[in-house]
Amino acid sequence: MMASIWVAWKDLLIVIRDKHAFLTLIAMPLLLIAILGAAFGDMMDGDEDVTIKKFTLGVVNLDKGQLGKVLSEEVFMNELSDQIQVKYYQEEELYKKIKDHKLEVGIVIDEDFTASLMTGEQAQAKLITVPDSGIKATIVTTVIEQFAQTIPIKAMSENLAQPVQASPSSDESSQELLHETAIDSTTKPVSSFQYYAAAMGVMFLLMTVVQGVSTMILEKEHEVFKRLLVSNLTYLNYLTGKMIGLIVISLTQAFVIIIGTKVLFGVEWGNSISGIVVMTFAFVISACGLGVLAGSFIKTEKAFNAAGMLGTQIFAALGGSMAPLYIFPDWFVSAAKILPNGLALQTYLDLMSGATLSEIIPAVLGSVALGIFFFAIGLVRLSTERRGKYA
Amino acid sequence: MKILSIRELRKSFGNFEAVKGVSFSVEKGESFSLLGPNGAGKSTIINMMSGLYPPTLGSIEINGINVIKNPKQAQKMIGVVPQEIALYEALSAKENLKFWGRMYNLSGKELEKSVDEVLEIIGLTERAKDKIKTFSGGMKRRVNIGAAILHQPEMLIMDEPTVGIDPQSRNHILDTVKRLNDEGMTIIYTSHYMEEVEYLCERIGIIDHGELIALGTLRELREMIGDRSRVIVTMDKGYSNQVEMKNLLESVVTEKDILIKDHQLTVFHKEPQLILSDIIQLVTSNGKRITSVEIIEPNLESVFLHLTGRSLRD
Repeated sequence: MMASIWVAWKDLLIVIRDKHAFLTLIAMPLLLIAILGAAFGDMMDGDEDVTIKKFTLGVVNLDKGQLGKVLSEEVFMNELSDQIQVKYYQEEELYKKIKDHKLEVGIVIDEDFTASLMTGEQAQAKLITVPDSGIKATIVTTVIEQFAQTIPIKAMSENLAQPVQASPSSDESSQELLHETAIDSTTKPVSSFQYYAAAMGVMFLLMTVVQGVSTMILEKEHEVFKRLLVSNLTYLNYLTGKMIGLIVISLTQAFVIIIGTKVLFGVEWGNSISGIVVMTFAFVISACGLGVLAGSFIKTEKAFNAAGMLGTQIFAALGGSMAPLYIFPDWFVSAAKILPNGLALQTYLDLMSGATLSEIIPAVLGSVALGIFFFAIGLVRLSTERRGKYA
Repeated sequence: MKILSIRELRKSFGNFEAVKGVSFSVEKGESFSLLGPNGAGKSTIINMMSGLYPPTLGSIEINGINVIKNPKQAQKMIGVVPQEIALYEALSAKENLKFWGRMYNLSGKELEKSVDEVLEIIGLTERAKDKIKTFSGGMKRRVNIGAAILHQPEMLIMDEPTVGIDPQSRNHILDTVKRLNDEGMTIIYTSHYMEEVEYLCERIGIIDHGELIALGTLRELREMIGDRSRVIVTMDKGYSNQVEMKNLLESVVTEKDILIKDHQLTVFHKEPQLILSDIIQLVTSNGKRITSVEIIEPNLESVFLHLTGRSLRD
């Protein structure tokens, strides 16, 4: 074990003395987070002075009458098709989607919705949103209010079968029509800076791992590796040392990003400091495991640098570091969790939204398991690699 | 007492057979050299001896320990100086030596003492704190050797340790190796520089195309060529009928002692002064112009040339 620690210590010394690498490690992520956070801020903030892009409205229609269907299909789905996409859910499913931040606004149309509108009684519809859902909730609210005001008038003019009571004032109607509920008072919205702090942090950690593995391959290409193998060092010692070094470097970078973004840009990483620390450890272990696996398979630094940079970009794009995850379909967001960075980013976002340590334990365990799995394959590969190599 | 015993060692890489049934042994405290041109198979043998990869066939024992079955146990007894510089450029000489010492489980005062002693041996105490990247090629080579002797191995394996360095550093390295051997360390030294091998080693194995083509002391190897000197005649680059020239020369020396390659004629003879004028006359009568004539005392180069028809540096 001591031999592994000395291998890690040596790697750390080399990195610390490489001013270029040190700067890339610390300053670059903070700079990029600031640039991207500022550039793409509008996409995330829901600021009301910007153009609203089409969004999804979750609908649970329990209405026994026809007006619930009219509201969801005729109004939201057809007339507002440029702004709103309607998706139908079961009630529980809708709550879960909004709680998981996979949906921002939803409505539950009660079974007496038609009846109450036609009779002028208290209408039964619930607007369910994430806290501070911004203009999207306002749009849905306004549409329902307009609908509620129009329908009784139409009913009278068209002489519908049901007798209609005197219409209450529009203000009263809108007050009573909607029961607005913000899901989970502890769930908070994620701002652009928060999103990109996590997304860029995760991407830079991947890049740091690539850089670390690149030096490992360079070492393998040179006689130092041969000399290491002739010493008392075993393959397990070597890979463990490399992994420890990478973990320390990556953790340093991760905490610089977390603390730096909090101090410089006021980014909130959530209330669970233990959750952030544990997830960072878990992600670093999985990313380093993946890196060590790649390092044990690829023989030349040149090949690795090309594949490594391309691989990082692909992983970053698929994992949500390039474009916000919410613009992708749900299945894609779920599938992205098989990538170490995708899982880490989504877990960081959960933590930022108020998740606790216990809630992220499955993600942490998944991440560590992935790292150990990758490491084990790398070890097997490295110990069989040199048998056929020509001197 | 034997420290190294190699029997019928073979190594193939795909269809290419790099080592073809090599056998030899080395006594404790001996300095032994593997001499051969580049690509002869020396490094492959060294790597197998070091336990870096197993042979296709054959056995290697170091102090009675089977290197193939117990490489880590055998590696404790050896120090290996690789052909290239195997050091970390960003670290100082002392940091490098400390790191490599730790890789052999040295620690604390034992490590400090060992590093200081090695710095003294390689003559770099004054530059201990300087980074390797600021060193000359020769100084790097010295640290490269130092890193292999920190744990005081019984046998030091050196794979062409003087490639590409200045004469002063080379002399320092050779003196260091000689001193280590005098102090009882067994030396296995590979090189294609015959002068180094002649200076350092008591016994020599000559390797060519993966085969051990000669083995013995310097004296024994010289006797293989009858202790004969070489007369090297260099001719101008015009056309020459080599068969005709060889036939003419057979009136002076036997056919097996004549070697004609390109525009160079080599003749092996115990008393070259006696035949020199005859050779010059025969060559010029064949229409060739002589540009230089050289007489070389018997050495390892002569042995290699005689055995393979090629120069060590070909």
